[in-house]
Amino acid sequence: MSLFRRSLFALALAVTAAAAPLPELFHERLKSVVAVEFFIQAETERQPVTVLGTVIDDAGTVILPGAAILPSVAPAQLRDFKVYRPGSTESSAAVYLGQDAFTGWHFVRIEEKGRAGLVPVTHWRTMTADPVLSDELWGIGLRNKDEDFQPYFLSSRVAVMMKLPQKTVILGTDVAGPGLPVFNAAGELAGLAQTSFGQNFLIFSRNQRGNPVVLVNVEESSVVLLASEVLPNLGRVPKSVTGRPIAWFGAYGLQPMDPEVAKLLKLENQSGVVVSDIMKSSPADQAGLQERDIVLAIDGQPLPRLKPDRIVVSYFGQAILRRQPADTISLSVLRGTSRVELKLKLGDEPKLVREADRRYFEKLGFTVREFLFNDSIMHRASPGTAEGVMVHFIKPGSGVATAGLRPDDWVREIDGAEIKTYAQATERLAAIEADQNKAEFVLLVSRGGETQVLRVKLN
Amino acid sequence: MSRGFNRLLDAVVRIDVREIEFNDGAKRITGGVGSGVIISNDGLVLTNAHVVSPQAVEISVTLASLERVNAKLVGWDHWTDLALLRIDLDAIKRRNLRFATADFGDSDDLFVGQTVFAVGTPHGLTRTVTRGIISNNNRYFEDSRGVNGYETGAFNTWLQTDAAINPGNSGGPLVTEDGKVVGINSRGYVGADNLGFAIPAKVARTVAATLVKEGAVTRSYAGIGFRELQDLERFYALSANTGVLVANIDVGSPAAKAGLRAGDVVLTLNGRKVDGRFPEQLPPIQQSIASLPAGSAVKVGVKRGDQIVELSAVTEKLESRVGEEWAFEKWGLTVRKVSRAYARENQLTDATGVVVLGVQPGYPAAEAGLARGDIITKVGSKTIAELVQLKALYEAYEAAPEPQLVEAQRNRRISLYVIKP
Repeated sequence: MSLFRRSLFALALAVTAAAAPLPELFHERLKSVVAVEFFIQAETERQPVTVLGTVIDDAGTVILPGAAILPSVAPAQLRDFKVYRPGSTESSAAVYLGQDAFTGWHFVRIEEKGRAGLVPVTHWRTMTADPVLSDELWGIGLRNKDEDFQPYFLSSRVAVMMKLPQKTVILGTDVAGPGLPVFNAAGELAGLAQTSFGQNFLIFSRNQRGNPVVLVNVEESSVVLLASEVLPNLGRVPKSVTGRPIAWFGAYGLQPMDPEVAKLLKLENQSGVVVSDIMKSSPADQAGLQERDIVLAIDGQPLPRLKPDRIVVSYFGQAILRRQPADTISLSVLRGTSRVELKLKLGDEPKLVREADRRYFEKLGFTVREFLFNDSIMHRASPGTAEGVMVHFIKPGSGVATAGLRPDDWVREIDGAEIKTYAQATERLAAIEADQNKAEFVLLVSRGGETQVLRVKLN
Repeated sequence: MSRGFNRLLDAVVRIDVREIEFNDGAKRITGGVGSGVIISNDGLVLTNAHVVSPQAVEISVTLASLERVNAKLVGWDHWTDLALLRIDLDAIKRRNLRFATADFGDSDDLFVGQTVFAVGTPHGLTRTVTRGIISNNNRYFEDSRGVNGYETGAFNTWLQTDAAINPGNSGGPLVTEDGKVVGINSRGYVGADNLGFAIPAKVARTVAATLVKEGAVTRSYAGIGFRELQDLERFYALSANTGVLVANIDVGSPAAKAGLRAGDVVLTLNGRKVDGRFPEQLPPIQQSIASLPAGSAVKVGVKRGDQIVELSAVTEKLESRVGEEWAFEKWGLTVRKVSRAYARENQLTDATGVVVLGVQPGYPAAEAGLARGDIITKVGSKTIAELVQLKALYEAYEAAPEPQLVEAQRNRRISLYVIKP
């Protein structure tokens, strides 16, 4: 290992002395990129997923884009992580470490014997200044598994720099696979390609005359998060697979304030977020924040005017997630026509869907999960007092499907008995499932504010 | 055909309507064609609520003699999809026109398989007669937005016929061979063959009588969502032929205040046993509450688990989910008042605000970012509890246009907008 490092160091020196030809740099930088394959095990099927990742340290840690895994997927459902090198059919096993709430990145770690020959992206020199308009950058794309993840070269020029809210450049054309690093001509790290943005196209066909569609390229991207935003966060490897601790604010439905509104309120050159919903007994509630309040500043820093308007909501969300539970923040709030200053102690994010207890009843054909704090927001129920369980999955063609049960239905009663806890629900359902003589059962569910009695036939 | 049938043909009219529509951010006039039947010598015409609505600005009736006269709306009831018009009798007298009147038959006497005829103006083809049979004389068919967005079918069952009923037949009579009106043709299944529905004459006569007197039918509301028990008797351990299931209780409704809950089984209403095992038994049960004067006490006998409890609810006046509509033309904005029913349906805290029906591209409301479905709750510092408040603000704006700060909710998210001159 030490020998390997020394040779790397020598190489880095060589690069700065005189930029190596691009093909050479390309083949060197390939050592920092991998393709990651895994399965999402659902109740009745497993869905294969392939994404691209960047190696960030000597411990074989790889980061994957946030969009790689839907938020409702529980870590226990993620199976058989395999890491492939570009152009190779050989794979190494890896383990899932969790998702970082602030960056959104998923972290996986390659087993020790599979780490040889990998070079963390941090070993390459970083551009000393942010890339500017018209700079040429290049990156790596990987073909699909059936082409052995064959690497290929992409390059383009910087078209625009934006704050989204992090410093991000957008290039004229696609420059790398999403999740993979991007470099300049000298081989210096410029940033990390993000999930690409949708682009507007018009479809013309015999029947359609220029219907607008949005297309998203899933294989390549022209959006690059700059190295200065990436590198400081590479240490955010989750301490647990749940990604905790996660700071909690407790206000929901935050909406940006548009420039016209700011102007009318005499708040030029800054922005704000309108609070739509406050969860009872949340940190925001305890601090006295109210619905319709407009948050104008956090810790004395006015919320900046970012484009597009909605970016200010991400800015505020990240300002919270950057902090830790029990951290204190101060907020300047516009309430009606008066300014209010609030002090707020952040809490611990309530259980997320991916952490919720859940159980699949195979014979009954559905999965129930715990009723969470977030569900009480959705259902306008006050948290803590809410009872019942949520339907998470329905097996197609099963009795519950025929009876009209749907995912996200809120089960309030089973066979006429009120459900107060998750344990109670699973106990009752298990009993129904075990009862060979039972021909039917009845559910009372709530959906969109209305309740329904559903009669489920068994067998 | 019989003499009665020929007379009936002379009582059927074509109705051309021009009405205001508020859908696209502007007041627009649209046209439609339907049918109707003259039921009295003083010129009353029965038709469908979805043919002529209170938003009609011009109603023209073509008599069997191919003479046209204007008509006025006398009354309207979307729940039974019925509207009552009166033709301009002065014009009739002045022009010396004649018309026949139709006689009602007893819709309760109809039997399945009985031959019936539909008379009307399908697709604008005046004076079309189609023939079929009564396919079912007790069909349940409830639709929460069946009459141009208004609720229908909760309080009556329908006659089902295979006599061809097409768009434009609406409002025309369904008649027996001797020319007696047994139903008012109302709707067909789109895409299905020969599945037509008519309001039974018995319902039509009662509603028409009320509309003549009062212009509208006032009903009671309790907020109970009934559903048929259908095979659940055993589950609820009920004796035969009793009970109806409560599938839903509207939040904040009289029934909710009375303590009724979804999953309850209602055994009696004001002491009378109810039998709701099948869907077609629901309308009479619902009607038994609706027909009470608003503010009546309803005693509800309920089976809940092993217990039998009696609860008492005081009814409210039944309201539609569709509120008053209006256009603010300089803003390019059309709205509809949030009704209590709409608020309940969308889990809003109360009936504050107006729903955006449409915005005109390029006009101030659209430029501000407002869109269909947004609920405007506040303008400037004024909460918009009633439509009249917004009208007043708009008038002030017309007199002296100033930028207006608008608060609106979309999927319960609160946003601010500026409407600028």
